[in-house]
Amino acid sequence: MNTVTNQFRAMGCPCELRLFIPDKLNQEKVVSCCVAEALRFEEKYSRYRPSSLVSRINAAAGVKAIDIDPETSAILDYTRVCFEQSDGLFDITAGSLRSVWHQNMKTLPSQEVIERGLTKIGFDKLIFSTDSIFLPFTGMELDFGGVVKEYAADAIATLAKSMGIQHGLVNLGGDVCVIGAQQDGTAWPIGVIDPFGHGEAIARIELSEGALTTSGSYERFFQVEGKTYSHLINPLTGWPVEGLVSASVIAEQTIVAGSISSIALLADTAGGLAWLQSCQAPYLAIDQNKVCHGTLK
Amino acid sequence: MKTSQTSPLVALCGAALSLPAISATQPVQTEMSIKTSSYEERDLSERDVVVGATERYDIDINQFRLLAPVSRAWSLGVDISREIMSGASPWGTVAGVDGEASLIMSGATIREKRTEVSLSATYYGQDASYSVGLIRSEENDYDATAIRLGGEWDKNNGLSTLSLGFSYSSDDIKPTDAETYGRVAKEDKDAVSASVSWTQVLNKASTLQVGAGVTKHSGFLNDPYKLRDVRPDEKLAWNVNLRYRRFFDNQNAALHLDYRYYSDDFGIDSHTFYAAWYKNLGARFQVAPNVRFYSQGASDFYVAVDDYSLPAIENQSTDYRLSSYGAYTFGLKVIFNEINWSVSAGIDHYISSGKYGLSSGKDHPALLSFNMASIGFDLRF
Repeated sequence: MNTVTNQFRAMGCPCELRLFIPDKLNQEKVVSCCVAEALRFEEKYSRYRPSSLVSRINAAAGVKAIDIDPETSAILDYTRVCFEQSDGLFDITAGSLRSVWHQNMKTLPSQEVIERGLTKIGFDKLIFSTDSIFLPFTGMELDFGGVVKEYAADAIATLAKSMGIQHGLVNLGGDVCVIGAQQDGTAWPIGVIDPFGHGEAIARIELSEGALTTSGSYERFFQVEGKTYSHLINPLTGWPVEGLVSASVIAEQTIVAGSISSIALLADTAGGLAWLQSCQAPYLAIDQNKVCHGTLK
Repeated sequence: MKTSQTSPLVALCGAALSLPAISATQPVQTEMSIKTSSYEERDLSERDVVVGATERYDIDINQFRLLAPVSRAWSLGVDISREIMSGASPWGTVAGVDGEASLIMSGATIREKRTEVSLSATYYGQDASYSVGLIRSEENDYDATAIRLGGEWDKNNGLSTLSLGFSYSSDDIKPTDAETYGRVAKEDKDAVSASVSWTQVLNKASTLQVGAGVTKHSGFLNDPYKLRDVRPDEKLAWNVNLRYRRFFDNQNAALHLDYRYYSDDFGIDSHTFYAAWYKNLGARFQVAPNVRFYSQGASDFYVAVDDYSLPAIENQSTDYRLSSYGAYTFGLKVIFNEINWSVSAGIDHYISSGKYGLSSGKDHPALLSFNMASIGFDLRF
C-alpha cells in the first residue's frame, strides 16, 4: 500500500489527490486517470475555453440549439432542482450579471442597467431537452461554476473507487470528497478557513465519508464608491449579496454539499441560516459579525 | 425559501442520484457471498401420531451468490442453492380416541436433495434498469423452471422508484413410490405472476414502499403424498404490502416495519406483520433483533380429519398449511462489516398454533415449531 499525494490545477483552482493505492495497482495510471477526469470537466464546461461545450452553447445564444450528451443533460436537471429548491437564487444563467457588476467599475450601475441585466437571465427561460439546449436571447450565458467542480470531485472519487481505491481524498479548490477513512481507520481532518483570518483554520472537521464544501463571499470582492461588494450577485435583485460570509456543509455527495453551501451565501443572513437549517445537513456558517452558527464545530 | 414537504437535502440528493458518476444502482465491484443455514423442525409428540415417524424435517442449506459488473451497463448474477432434507411428512389425519385429529406420518425418514441454479442479467440505463432471470430447481420428485422479467424506473429526480415484475414457472411433479402407494405418477402445474411497487423517499430519514402482486396457479395443486388431498386445479392469489424504513439519528439505528395482506380463492387470507431494529454499534457492528407475526384463516375446503365418505373428486384437505393458525418468529441477526467484506450470523425461532391466529382455529397437530441458524460471508472485490 502506497500513499500518493498529487497536486495539480484544474478549473482555475489548486487541486489535490491523496490516495492509498494497493500495491497491485499501477500508481501512475490511477493518478493520471483521476487527473484526466478533472481536466475532462474543465475542457467540457469551462467558459474560459472557447472550444468547451459551454462556450459553444453560449456562443449560440439566441441563434440555435446545441446538442448535449446525457451527462450534461443530467447536470442541467440537477441545476433545475437547485433553482426550484432555492426559489430562483441558484441560477446558472446569472453569470451575465457580471457585465453589470465588475472589478474595474468606478461608479455603481444605475437601477435601469441592473434591470436590463435581469431581463437576460432566468433558468426558467432556458429551452432544453435530454438532447439539446437553446438559450433564447443573445447575451444569455450558462455558467456551471457552481456545480461542475463539485460534481467533478464526486466523479473522480467514483472513478478511484472503481479502480479499487478504498481510502482517499479528492480536494478540488477546497471542495473535498473522501473515499472512506484514512488507511489506519482515522477520519480525515479537514480545516475550514477563517474568513476573517489570514489563512488559518477556524474549525477542524473530521470526515470519514461523504464530502465537505465551503462557499465564501470573502474570497473575491470589489470596491465601488468606498464600499466593498461581494462577487456573488443575487439573481432576483441584481445586487451583490450581503449575507453570510462563509458556509461549510457536509453531505454524502460533493455536488449536494456544494449547492447547499452556495445557496446559503446567495440569500441574506437570516435567509441563508434558515436555508441551512431546512436542509438538515451538518453545517458551519459565519456571519458578518464573525459569529459562528450551525452544528459543525 | 422553499417550504415544500420534501426537504431540500432530499430533493438535491435525489437529483444527484441521476448523475452518471453518482448513480449507485449499478454494482461497480464484484460481490460474492456464501451462506450456510441449518433448519430444524421440532419433532412431533408421540400422542399426536397414530402411525409413522415422529421426527420432522431437518434441512441443511448452502447458498452461493456471485454478482459481477461485466461492462458499464451490464451485470450478471449467479445463485446456486443446495438443500439436504431429512425427516417425515404428514400423510393425513384421523380422529383420535379423544375425537381430536391425529396424524398419519410417512413411515420412514426420507432423505432428499434439492439444487437450484438461477442466472440473471441486468441492464442499467439512464434512470432505469431491466433484468431477466432464469431459474431451474431439481429434486428427485419435483422439477421447476421459471423465468423472471423485471424493470425499475427512477422518477421525481430519484425520489421515487417504480418496479414492475413478471414471472412464469412450470413445475413437474413425479412422486416417489407412486405405484406402491397409488399416488399420481406424473403431474404438472404452472404459475404466472405480476407485481408492481412504488418506493417513495419521504424525507431524509424514511422511505415507504407500497406494492401489490397477483399470481395465477393452474394444474395439479394437490399434495400427492397425502392419502386424501383434493384441491381445485386453479388458484388465483393476490397480495398487497407496505414496507416502511426509518433511520433515527440520535439512536444510530433503523426501524423496519412491514405489513402484508394475502388472499386467494381457496379462501385463505392472511396478515403478516414484521418489525426489526437495526442498531449500529460503533462503525463495524450491527445488531438486528426482529419479530414477525403471521395469522391466516382456513381455506374453504380445509377439514381437520380426512373424510373418506366424501367422493374422491370433492375438494378437501387436512394440510396444516390450509388451517387457521397464527405464528410468531423471533429472530436476531448480528453483522460485522469490514470495508470489503462482512460476516453475518442469525438465529430464528418460529412457533405456530391455532390459538395464535386472529380468527379462532383448532390446533392442527402438525403445526410447526422450528429453529433456524445461519452464518454468511460476503466479499466485494
